[in-house]
Amino acid sequence: MSTATDRRAPDDRAVPGDPSTPPGGRPGRDALSEMSNPHRARMIKDVVARIVMWGAFALAMVPLVWILGTVVGKGFHMLTTATWWTGNQRNINSDDFGGGARHAIEGTLQMVGFTALIAVPIGILTAVYLVEYGRGRLAKAISFTVDILSGVPSIVAALFIYAVWVTTFGLGRSGFAASLALVLLMIPVIVRSTEEMLKLVPNELREAAYALGVPKWVTVVKVVLRTAFSGIVTGVLLGIARVMGETAPLLILAPYTKNFQRDLFNGNFPTLPMMINQDRGDFALATAAERMWGAALTLIILVLLLNLIGRVIAHYGSVKK
Amino acid sequence: MSVSRISALGAIALSGALALSACASENNGAQPGTGSTGAGGASSAAGDCFSGDLKAEGSSAQKNAIDEAIKAYQTACADANIDYQPTGSGAGIKQFIAKQVDFAGSDSALKTVPKDGKIEAQDAKAACGSDAWNLPMVTGPIAIAYNVKGVDKLVLNAEVAAKIFDGKITAWNDPAIAALNKGVTLPSTPIKVFFRSDESGTTENFTKYLKAAAPDAWSYETGKKWTGKGEGKEKSAGVATATKNQDGGITYVELSYAQQNQLPMAQIDTGSGPVALTAESAGKTIATAKQTGTGNDLALKIDYATKEAGAYPIVLVTYEVVCSKYADAATGKKVKSFLKTFSSDEVQKGLEAKGYAPLPTEVATKVKTAVDAIS
Repeated sequence: MSTATDRRAPDDRAVPGDPSTPPGGRPGRDALSEMSNPHRARMIKDVVARIVMWGAFALAMVPLVWILGTVVGKGFHMLTTATWWTGNQRNINSDDFGGGARHAIEGTLQMVGFTALIAVPIGILTAVYLVEYGRGRLAKAISFTVDILSGVPSIVAALFIYAVWVTTFGLGRSGFAASLALVLLMIPVIVRSTEEMLKLVPNELREAAYALGVPKWVTVVKVVLRTAFSGIVTGVLLGIARVMGETAPLLILAPYTKNFQRDLFNGNFPTLPMMINQDRGDFALATAAERMWGAALTLIILVLLLNLIGRVIAHYGSVKK
Repeated sequence: MSVSRISALGAIALSGALALSACASENNGAQPGTGSTGAGGASSAAGDCFSGDLKAEGSSAQKNAIDEAIKAYQTACADANIDYQPTGSGAGIKQFIAKQVDFAGSDSALKTVPKDGKIEAQDAKAACGSDAWNLPMVTGPIAIAYNVKGVDKLVLNAEVAAKIFDGKITAWNDPAIAALNKGVTLPSTPIKVFFRSDESGTTENFTKYLKAAAPDAWSYETGKKWTGKGEGKEKSAGVATATKNQDGGITYVELSYAQQNQLPMAQIDTGSGPVALTAESAGKTIATAKQTGTGNDLALKIDYATKEAGAYPIVLVTYEVVCSKYADAATGKKVKSFLKTFSSDEVQKGLEAKGYAPLPTEVATKVKTAVDAIS
């Protein structure tokens, strides 16, 4: 039996296409090229795929680098002027140089902060409901509504708030009214991202908690939300980044002022996107144009800083393994 | 435990810190006005400063003018905050009627005939609870600015201008243009018309001029939307820049933008010789305007077809639309105080440097009387 196996074994090994044991014991040229063909095809595919991939990456980087380059190149010198971080635009007309952006920086942070204060709890709690509690028709309806809300253009959200706030209730335009419109834009982003993060939490963790006799709400708060924390923070940051540069609600609901204004509930309100818009109108003037680029760069820096802060929080807040 | 506490702090910090950081310092308007040009000082305002906010919105044509007036007022009154949103005449009147702003800036007086089922003048009256007044405050001459290599001086009349902007005259060496410009070598460059793609009081006044002075050549209706030929560009800055970058380009634009972009401006032959655009020649046309409003309502009817010697006919008057008697007396005081500065001789004189024409003395006197009557 053993001899039979031994004898058969080389036959088995001599599979066509195996270059180590060519059939007939003679390494034929035809056979060789035939054998390396699939290999070469793979090599070519690999190279093509690499080129396409790197090409796509480079293509995606072009606008990013271009935008950053333009904004930094044209706006950076404004950020180094003495009054940029301390002053406002009071009595700075479009053909006057410089002035400050502090009023707009503070206004934007205040407005976005206020928006987050409303939208984050609502968004996270909605996501918790959808993932942990919601079954049946209500959950489906909520999920559907969030989907619709995430497709609402910012201008529509703004006009809706205008219709309710100004036309129906007869109240004045203000930073608060704009915040309400921003809340509408921010909630779906937060709900969707938080939902995804909560779904990623392994069920074993929940089951383990239940097995220890932990009530469901404690499980949600201390196990599920804790595990998903860094992901939720990322989602919140995406939401903030989404609304920070949003201009349509501001155009309709929060008229710009060049002065310091900290009252979110009465009167005009300064914000960076509106400052950019204001100076865009006088783009032909070098003084206005460079102020516009400066404000644009400031807005980018603000979003970047918030992202960094969020990363740090997510890093130190995440569950240690 | 410590981990969860950190994370809780972090979550609060993320949203809370944003709001808190905004309350860092509190010195409203402490910054001195830098680089003051044009109208400064304004001693007239020093007497009755208000403190608080005054909101206005409307015509973008008067933006640079009202900015100067605001600067003059705020320089004298450190506690006053005046905001003007240059969103357009139509938007300004809408917000005024919706009681969102204290006064509006508009390139045309409140309409007394129904438009879209609404009569602006009546709605404004209802919003005020008193008569609404149109106060002419700024006159902005509209230039026909062009860019043709080698042509520094160009004369047009209403008919030729209408044909150019209607696309009927397509080359610069057209006999109709040549007839008005004897001794000037005109190239065969094609004419490229640029118009305002947004709704604009400038368009409205320019088409009113074409319609009034050349009714045969300009068959379109007048309005804020351009109905002629050409290529649309957004805002005054857009058409001015486009013309500057296009050999053979021509556009209609406020004097200040033509000056900023160093574009040559066509002289207009009204029938009594070519008139160059200056503050003085534009002011002459305003002086011939008839008052259509009654009492202190100073709505004007400009005679675009004027043949008066030395009068430049394409002008635009921006009105401040105000309540004659404000429901809130404090608001009335603010509006009155600011408009006093705006109509003062110093501020009006300073506007010349910004490409506007000062109000003719007659009109200015009436405006001052009306402003004094606001309560």
